[in-house]
Amino acid sequence: MASSHFHSTADIKGAKVLMVGAGGIGCELLKTLALSGFRDIHIIDMDTIEVSNLNRQFLFRQSHVGQSKAKVARDAVLKFKPDISITPYHANVKDRDFDVDFFKQFNVVLNGLDNLDARRHVNRLCLAADVPLVESGTTGFLGQVTVHVKGKTECYECQPKPAPKTYPVCTITSTPSKFVHCIVWAKDLLFAKLLGDKNQDNDLNVRSSDAASSSENVEDVFERSKDEDIEQYGRKIFDHVFGYNIELALSNEETWKSRNRPKPIYSKDVLSEELTQQNGGVDKNHVSDDGLSVSAMVSLGMKNPQDIWSVKENSRIFLEALRLFFTKREKDIGNLSFDKDDQLAVEFVTAAANIRATSFGIPLHSLFEAKGIAGNIVHAVATTNAVIAGLIVIEAIKVLRSDIKSYRMTYCLEHPSRNMLLMPVEPFEPNKSCYVCSETPLSLEINTNSTKLKDLVEKIVKAKLGMNLPLIMNASSLLYEAGDVEDDMAPIYEANLEKVLAELPSPVTGGTMLTVEDYLQELKCNINIKHREEFDEEKEPDGMVLSGWTQPVSAAENKDKSIVNGASTSDATTAVAESEMDDEIGIISPLKKRKLPDASDNSNAAAETKNNKQLQVIDDEDDLVVLEGNVDGFKKRRL
Amino acid sequence: MSGIARGRLTEERKSWRKNHPHGFVAKPETLPDGTINLMVWHCTIPGKAGTDWEGGFFPLTLHFSEDYPSKPPKCKFPQGFFHPNVYPSGTVCLSILNEDSGWRPAITVRQILIGIQDLLDQPNPADPAQTEGYHLFIQDVVEYKKRVRQQAKQYPAIL
Repeated sequence: MASSHFHSTADIKGAKVLMVGAGGIGCELLKTLALSGFRDIHIIDMDTIEVSNLNRQFLFRQSHVGQSKAKVARDAVLKFKPDISITPYHANVKDRDFDVDFFKQFNVVLNGLDNLDARRHVNRLCLAADVPLVESGTTGFLGQVTVHVKGKTECYECQPKPAPKTYPVCTITSTPSKFVHCIVWAKDLLFAKLLGDKNQDNDLNVRSSDAASSSENVEDVFERSKDEDIEQYGRKIFDHVFGYNIELALSNEETWKSRNRPKPIYSKDVLSEELTQQNGGVDKNHVSDDGLSVSAMVSLGMKNPQDIWSVKENSRIFLEALRLFFTKREKDIGNLSFDKDDQLAVEFVTAAANIRATSFGIPLHSLFEAKGIAGNIVHAVATTNAVIAGLIVIEAIKVLRSDIKSYRMTYCLEHPSRNMLLMPVEPFEPNKSCYVCSETPLSLEINTNSTKLKDLVEKIVKAKLGMNLPLIMNASSLLYEAGDVEDDMAPIYEANLEKVLAELPSPVTGGTMLTVEDYLQELKCNINIKHREEFDEEKEPDGMVLSGWTQPVSAAENKDKSIVNGASTSDATTAVAESEMDDEIGIISPLKKRKLPDASDNSNAAAETKNNKQLQVIDDEDDLVVLEGNVDGFKKRRL
Repeated sequence: MSGIARGRLTEERKSWRKNHPHGFVAKPETLPDGTINLMVWHCTIPGKAGTDWEGGFFPLTLHFSEDYPSKPPKCKFPQGFFHPNVYPSGTVCLSILNEDSGWRPAITVRQILIGIQDLLDQPNPADPAQTEGYHLFIQDVVEYKKRVRQQAKQYPAIL
């Protein structure tokens, strides 16, 4: 035990780690890393410090507002750990500079990010560079730390991530049952209709039968005529959306057979005439020139955002907010979209959602709560970040010691479960059908300014990858499909074949990742394009060089005849390649069966064809080292 | 960007090229500059023989998001399309296209298109999406059928 402890300390001291993110988790993490003995830390963050960060990002002070998070965090930690090295990058982790080679210099990468996009990006780079990743996240009291080691544990993208919740149009427009439905209606339909882009599709108004012949009649309701009194306009809108539209909905008897019938609300029922006049009077004392500080609550003398307003108060806010938009912020109208930091917009949406909630018998909410729902805000908890940062360091140390058996994914809960607040779980094996980590990434050096797509298809896709009917894609744009296609697409593909890569409709240049699939073989791979001007005519007659690697093999489940086929292989590296291929076949056929039941009969045959083909290629061509084994194997062969 | 959506869409594309129901069209959108965008598909749904929809070849656009197939594609007919379960914007309201009820990631483009073809002649009165189509459907069948036949003529086969 003593010696393993000694080793781990040495591992920590000698480790070079990359931290991505210097925010809530990042500040805690940098501090904990420094205090745990880490001596070489690199940190990337593109953000600058904001006032709202100061309540939990303890490395930052008021005087730092506006400065780079990465740099200030470094300076703050060096004050109590002056003898270590911290390298800050005030930059986006997705910048080209942070490429695979950059990632390869680190022993482990630690994520403290706040968005899915960057997480996916770092995951892919870590896979490509074969560097372990410790990934983390917190939402209020909840948090998790996971370990991703290529070929050993699942990658960040092996499990689909829950996407932000969306609601069906029918629920929002006709049958809300929760407050959030009313918020979505107020924000995405009503607010967008009245104040947003007029050309956007909007399902706010279900067309009424008597206006069928002239649908503009209905549209007109929302349009304010030139000299229309703003109070009258507000009441017209109010009566239309909360009164008339509800009555209209009630006329569809079928809808309400098993639901509570909503109650129409007209402005005259909740507001007397003079009240409105009074509002106008009060406001004049609170004129402000700054658009974003205009507030209906201020004009009406309402102060506490945590109060739940009555229907009457909501109605007054609704009309006042609308009036302020049309009088104080007229130039914004037509291009507004809901912004949680726009006070007047939040007031309008809160009031509209509450009035609608009243109609449908849904409990009302305060402005503070409504803002949280409308802006998808979850309040961050500093202690959760600290706990998570500690767990990240624990996992990082295990990773540095390659203590695979001890790796844990840890979930931090809001309420103790079986007396535990932290739930450790053993990591899962890689998902064999994961699009990201089960792929075989290849890289192709090619002159993108002089090589035609046709050459790439013939020399690489067909000759080297052994595809017969390839489909080539750049991001979500199709560049080529071999075989019969629709009449209007065929000429485009023919033209694309004759085009130079950089001049395709979606240009292929250095840094592009092409996806290549075969129509029949069920083989799929990604090719990273690297632009290179010149090639050695004798050694590189194709004018392009394909290279790549496959991930380490986890288990040898070689039941297929591929082993028998792999006759030519005499060295260990190629043996690895075979079982790798075998694994891949295992992946493809069940996947295909699940998705495409009508074509599943062919899949085994297709997979076998592919297998044979590949192995033959390996037999014949030394270039294809690329498809074999891991990076080390690849280097060995080349030397 | 999610590769899951693209991976699935290439599978759908390949599957459709191999075999698809007669009279239907489904293909990725072609932009004027020659870009072929896999995330938007232009489709044609033929009205079923023996129904008032027969003879119509109705254009439908499928908009796939990066979250497909966790989330269903948005399916749109042209704006103002006459049908009780089609919103004024053209968006189709159908349980299998609703993330909260019938949608499952395993549902294929083929199944979506056939589902919408079925919906054409079998509207669901419990879930009206436009008042005009809904009211005629339950109150004035003769006029409803007339409107449907008129609309079918508006969308003849494209040869």
